[in-house]
Amino acid sequence: MTSTLAPPTRASRSARARTGSRVAHRTSPWVYVASVAIAAVVLAPVLYAVIGGFRSNGQLAADPTGLPNPWVFANYVGVLTSGSFWTYALNSVIIAVITTVLVVVAGVMAAYPLARYRFKGRQALFNVFVLGLLFPLTVAIIPLFLMVRDLNLTNTYWGVALPQAAFALPMTIVILRPFLMSLPNELEEAAMLDGASRIGFFWRILVPLSGPGMVTVGVLAFVGSWNGYLLPLLFLNRPELKTLPLGVADFSTQYSADTAGVLAFTSLAIIPALVFFLSMQKRIVSGLQGAVKG
Amino acid sequence: MKRTAALRAVALGAAVAMIATACASGSGGNEEAEGDGDNVTLTWWHNSNTGVGKDYYDQMADQFETDHPGVTVEVSAMAHEDMLTKLDAAFQSGDQPDVFMERGGGELKAHVEAGLVKDITDSAADTISAIGGSVAGWQVEGKTYALPFSLGVVGFWYNKAIFADAGITAAPTTMDELYAAIDTLKAAGIEPISVGAGDKWPAAHYWYYFALRQCSQEVLADATQTLDFSDDCWVRAGEDLEALVAKEPFNTGFLATVAQTGPASASGLLATGKVAMELAGHWEPGVMQGLTDDGLGLGENTGWFAFPAVQGGDGDPTAQLGGGDAWACSNDAPDVCVDFLEFMLSNEVQKGFAEYDMGLPTLPSATAFVSAPELAQLLAVRNEAPYIQLYFDTAFGESVGGAMNDAIANVFGSVGSAQDIVDATQAAAENA
Amino acid sequence: MNPGATDQATAWSVASGPRGRGASSNAWRKRLEITFFVAPALVLFALFVIVPVLQAGHYSVYKWNGLGPLDNFVGLQNYVQALGDQIFQRSVRNNLTIAFLSIAIQLPIGIMVALLLNRRFRGQTAMRVIVFVPYVLAEVVAGVVWALILQPNGPLDALLDSVGLGAIGQVWLGDPKVALWTVMGVLTWKYSGLAIVLLLAGLQGVPEELHEAAQIDGASWWQVQRKITIPLLGPTIRTWIFLSMIGSLQLFDMVWILTKGGPVNATVTMATYLINQGTDRQQYGYASAVAILLFAISFILAILYQTFFLNRDAGEDKPRRKKVAR
Repeated sequence: MTSTLAPPTRASRSARARTGSRVAHRTSPWVYVASVAIAAVVLAPVLYAVIGGFRSNGQLAADPTGLPNPWVFANYVGVLTSGSFWTYALNSVIIAVITTVLVVVAGVMAAYPLARYRFKGRQALFNVFVLGLLFPLTVAIIPLFLMVRDLNLTNTYWGVALPQAAFALPMTIVILRPFLMSLPNELEEAAMLDGASRIGFFWRILVPLSGPGMVTVGVLAFVGSWNGYLLPLLFLNRPELKTLPLGVADFSTQYSADTAGVLAFTSLAIIPALVFFLSMQKRIVSGLQGAVKG
Repeated sequence: MKRTAALRAVALGAAVAMIATACASGSGGNEEAEGDGDNVTLTWWHNSNTGVGKDYYDQMADQFETDHPGVTVEVSAMAHEDMLTKLDAAFQSGDQPDVFMERGGGELKAHVEAGLVKDITDSAADTISAIGGSVAGWQVEGKTYALPFSLGVVGFWYNKAIFADAGITAAPTTMDELYAAIDTLKAAGIEPISVGAGDKWPAAHYWYYFALRQCSQEVLADATQTLDFSDDCWVRAGEDLEALVAKEPFNTGFLATVAQTGPASASGLLATGKVAMELAGHWEPGVMQGLTDDGLGLGENTGWFAFPAVQGGDGDPTAQLGGGDAWACSNDAPDVCVDFLEFMLSNEVQKGFAEYDMGLPTLPSATAFVSAPELAQLLAVRNEAPYIQLYFDTAFGESVGGAMNDAIANVFGSVGSAQDIVDATQAAAENA
Repeated sequence: MNPGATDQATAWSVASGPRGRGASSNAWRKRLEITFFVAPALVLFALFVIVPVLQAGHYSVYKWNGLGPLDNFVGLQNYVQALGDQIFQRSVRNNLTIAFLSIAIQLPIGIMVALLLNRRFRGQTAMRVIVFVPYVLAEVVAGVVWALILQPNGPLDALLDSVGLGAIGQVWLGDPKVALWTVMGVLTWKYSGLAIVLLLAGLQGVPEELHEAAQIDGASWWQVQRKITIPLLGPTIRTWIFLSMIGSLQLFDMVWILTKGGPVNATVTMATYLINQGTDRQQYGYASAVAILLFAISFILAILYQTFFLNRDAGEDKPRRKKVAR
């Protein structure tokens, strides 16, 4: 259809009608009942934290499950008006973005030959990365500390982002490799017949098509970095470089028992990650709808 | 992050945060030393990262810079747990700051053996003698490596109102009286004691105290040096503990209760009137203040009594369990670092430290400035004690102390015996 | 395609250049390409993962408190000590229990919720975000909140009381008999979101047409899912099981924040044991040995899993790849 003004053809109208009826047919009330139940279980603890942030410590102690009475805004206002919260948030964003970009770029590049080239040692190389899954960060923390210091990366964003990215790589490659494998071979054959080089194929076709997979691993890397505690703690000494989890920890020890304040701080600390995921979620959905058919 | 004895000094921060007064101007402790033209930088890590305590230390750093031209003091104030984690990592890589906190005992010994701490025996001789006996905990083989600036003892904090309502008129002085109080409180429907057994060290304090009462000073001193636990007083300490646990005096779910964080912590339960008493150190009022909305903790209901006497023990019934914090210099720090330590232990600085309730000053001339009555009472007990035993886990070092605390916590969970504690501790000592 | 093509002869070479120009220049070019693509990841990985881990292996044969030089070589003593330690043995048992239960509990939940959220309904997008919320929360945050909820006479007990279920109230985290199950519940809450999201992603690869065709044939929704969708999710499920198993074996943060492995070691895991008995006590050699054991156990299970399950995926791949004949 070239003109939007053109009346719908019979075919398109009937297609739309069919789609509409299918949607109506599929949405049984049980879907909503189940959804509400799941949402309740999932969100209850979060709501407890968010609502708890509107209560005073006395209210929390007197009745653990009650609603705020009266509503106390001081906890949230206090956190939001302290400059440090914003500093922490900005640092967390910067480190998470660097980590995510590193992981996604390095990950998809490495996954490509591992998925679509055939060469000696391919499986061995893949296994090396898979082995990385088996090492928890705690194992290597002391040597890692020395390494980052020797590279003069202590007190830099990179000092945290590089090791975080390295430890996130195995998961990234494990997820991306089958994803790249599952893209139809016909694409490659078509590109090949058009005279594209492999690198050209990678950039022009594979990368756009693997968007959803990259979004998935990107979200995982971002979340991992966002929630990371041990590395920032060890590698960032200066207060102006601290991240939100460090801020949460600082806050909860400084105001050792200001439970309501801690709940307010932590509630606010999770918002940026949620917003990020929310925006990415839309891209996952639309990306998938477009990509699979393309 | 995760060190058994770690939360102890968090109280400092909590206590300090509650004091809303603006900081008074520090009056100068004028030292004689002048800058010799060279510019020197001292890095200093401390854990008073809030409120007046932070301001006070910043001022003291400025003061020192003014008195010593050419010297720059680079202060890093951080949360206590963070500081410990970072210090650990820094010691491993040899990046420790010039001035840092030492808690004495086995930890200091390890640092000394690795050549990380400056010997200040001669360079700070005057201050060492001014502080007196408290320095002993920071000496290794006759040499002094740090100057203690705060030293407290552990005892029972209790809610005077609950005791009075239950009809308990006098604070218990013997275990039998304590047991009687427990029965009375339970009959009145009150959980008698909260204990943060989830963090292990608060539970371990009970065994330490029973050992302190059961074992003679010689046995204790000997054990600290040789890590030999063959004297049967150690087993008797465990049996005393088993008897106490069998009484079921502790709060519901005490095995998972944490020491100080939040209203459901051991301190929180005491602060909010859910239990009658808790065994804790001098930090407790400050912690409790942070756990109530009004910032008062138990307020005027705050009471303190020393750990009761135990019948038939070889130990002095007035000996106390305690510990503290000291300032130490890195081995490679410039000489002016020792001047800084002495400055921190000067009469002026310790006085302000006492007035702001940042801890219990060690300099005898400064102890008079501690204002809170129950802390003054505790200080009196501390000063009268024939000896103060450093927390065993600190004294024996982390590897032995950790195994010991685990075994003690097992007795609280009724899955270990008095003999198990001794066996586990001895095994860890032989393995260390 | 060319059935006789060797590994060297790529489809590209067949199409884009005369064959005669030589397999060798193509082979070189391919090697260069592979190097170009793999290098960034490999350098990053080697520098910040492999080297530190090898160093940990080196520490594991010394008695070392982290200070001073490594000079007290003890051979395998650290390993012998760990394997003979009852608490370490218990931690292995706990890890295996958690790994098994995580799969047994989270997989059905993941499949059901993913299928649910794959249907179109109002609020579908919101639900997809909601189920992932716990996974996005920092462990510190989730742990603090859950610890508050589970405290004696806390919100959960109050909630149970208010609906007349007060009798099933427990000392959730303080009773050695209950704590592991409580932790299991929190883990399910925290990590099911990952299974759901991965399975949802897998579901996108299942062609809509299959459903429509089946439905036209009169199959019910559930029959379609069971006969068509779930089998097609096979590779995703097997990948998730692998990730879940490894995650369970390395479990640290949530347990540490909720119970520190207690009460009286009821919830100890290999990683909390590593920190509690090793790092916290400045026994870095011993901690490293435990870390290597943790790795070895994960490795063995990973190999077993790969041999018995993941090979199926490889088997499915083979004919396809042969068709391309790279």
